Amino acid sequence: MSVLPRSIQQLINEFSRLPGIGPKSASRLAFFLLRGADPNQAVDLANALVALKENTRFCSICHNITEDDPCVICTNEERDSTLMCVVEEPLDLVAIERSRAFKGRYHVLHGSISPVEGIGPDDLTIESLVKRIDAGEYSEVIIATNATLEGDTTARYLERRLASFGLKLSSLARGLAVGSDLEYTDEVTLSRALQGRQEL
Amino acid sequence: MILSYLSLTNFRNYGRLEVNFSPGMTLLYGPNAQGKTNILESIYYLATTRSPQASADYQIINWEAMEADDQIVVGRIVAQVQLPEGPRHIEMRLIQEKVRGSMRFRREALLDRRKVRLMDLLGNLRVVLFLPSDVEMIGGPPATRRRYIDILLCQVDPTYCRTLSTYNKVLEQRNAALRQHLETGRGRDVIRILTDDLVQKGAVIIQSRAKYMRHLARVAQRIHYESLTDGRETLRLAYLPRLQGNGLSQSTGDEMSGEMQQLSEKVDWLAGQSDYSPVEEWFSKVVQSQEARDLSSGVTTVGPHRDDWRFWINGRQLAHYGSRGQQRSAMLAFKLAEIEFMREITGDFPILLLDDVVAELDKSRRALLLSFIQERTQAFLTSTDSSMFPSTFLRSTKIFVVKKGRLEEETNQSIKHVEEVEDKTQI
Repeated sequence: MSVLPRSIQQLINEFSRLPGIGPKSASRLAFFLLRGADPNQAVDLANALVALKENTRFCSICHNITEDDPCVICTNEERDSTLMCVVEEPLDLVAIERSRAFKGRYHVLHGSISPVEGIGPDDLTIESLVKRIDAGEYSEVIIATNATLEGDTTARYLERRLASFGLKLSSLARGLAVGSDLEYTDEVTLSRALQGRQEL
Repeated sequence: MILSYLSLTNFRNYGRLEVNFSPGMTLLYGPNAQGKTNILESIYYLATTRSPQASADYQIINWEAMEADDQIVVGRIVAQVQLPEGPRHIEMRLIQEKVRGSMRFRREALLDRRKVRLMDLLGNLRVVLFLPSDVEMIGGPPATRRRYIDILLCQVDPTYCRTLSTYNKVLEQRNAALRQHLETGRGRDVIRILTDDLVQKGAVIIQSRAKYMRHLARVAQRIHYESLTDGRETLRLAYLPRLQGNGLSQSTGDEMSGEMQQLSEKVDWLAGQSDYSPVEEWFSKVVQSQEARDLSSGVTTVGPHRDDWRFWINGRQLAHYGSRGQQRSAMLAFKLAEIEFMREITGDFPILLLDDVVAELDKSRRALLLSFIQERTQAFLTSTDSSMFPSTFLRSTKIFVVKKGRLEEETNQSIKHVEEVEDKTQI
């Protein structure tokens, strides 16, 4: 039986359910919040946690995580609405936004096709993507799924599914990472980079 | 290539071991269960990332260390290898973690102290392992022979290894998709995409196997014919890809059936092709013809995951008709061929690991084996009895006595002892 008060023990238990946090880290976090220099920290954290679930939802257009529906990207008039980028996860969208190289619209699939994990096309937001393309004025769709077997399978599925719309379909180039050494690049990446070489 | 240094931490019965090796022969000698085989196993593990037997990896960590601290245990194998292009530092860490109450096993690979993927270790240290149980492979299940050839090919061809790994992932996904289709009647489109992938990756595997097996077969046949049977027996090695619905009819196995002959000829032709399109076409046709069966059974019934390869001697299948002695000779020829094969492909001899195999062989086969390895490369041999080695061999060999997880270099004593024994037997 634990000698700790129930409220501390409960917090420790909750912390240790988080990924990457074991019982020791959980205790340290709990005691830090209990005795920390900033008396408001625990309350601020609690509020942030409540807000996380209460204020966020998925955008009804692109399925990204948002506080306002539709999201800031879907409502931004300055973005190119003939260009669409399809990603697996919200964090992939964040990564592409960080590059500042894309100014079109997004569509978040929330996963990739993986029969082993029981995820089929119906479990992703593909139907909604098809409807968007059907109703919109898109001329190009960039399929930016991960360079994994599941990502490739999803890309190929989308390729077939969207073929009838007669728009330009593209995928991200596969090849060398910027700043990487040729010497340490694996054969598969290198052969893909050679296939996708560009004229100077 | 030369293994010049080996260090083991919490590996099997070694808490801590550090040892320098020299080129040429090294004999690890001592009573049973002292840790001789574990040294060979550690070298094999570093070279192939696999255990010699398909046993579970977690057994590899030192048991005492595991009881001392059940949170995390790091076992470690470190080797320094001298390659033609320079020295290379190879390391594998074996990490046992307790995650939410259940034990998890994880491995990390380092090349010249840089973290790399496990697969990137392959090819930096190449080995041929001789085990007394090798001969059982001849009559064993196809999975054993497939595993064996895959480990061999992965050491010489990184692309083969990567493709095989992808093929297995595709296969797993396709089988899952087939099962779901069986239950729900949905997902034909996903199956079709995965089938394309299966054919594309599978074609690379099939053609690589055909090409490499033809090469191996040629070398093995020559060694077997010239050095082991004085021209009396012709050894034939045939790769049998699973590219037919019901498998090959297992005619009681004596003569090669017409069907097998046909397949074998087609494989030979395939091995000579320069690109993958003929094999892709072939495999694709077969998969399509089996689609209904795959859909109703929920598994992929054809493809390289069901391949096999077999030995024949003078036209008769060795597994059914060969004597134990014939099987040993064939296996020995095959292992010696492996050494030549690896040198021809990579330009460098592999390191040889011989676990207690010398005792298994009769005098003439033993002499052939020892002369073969003596001329060529670095070899590690284990034995409980040094008297079965000729004194000329022992004189040019570095000897370590292995006792309770410790290695002690032995100087002239045991050699003298052997010479005395030999003298007595001559009288």
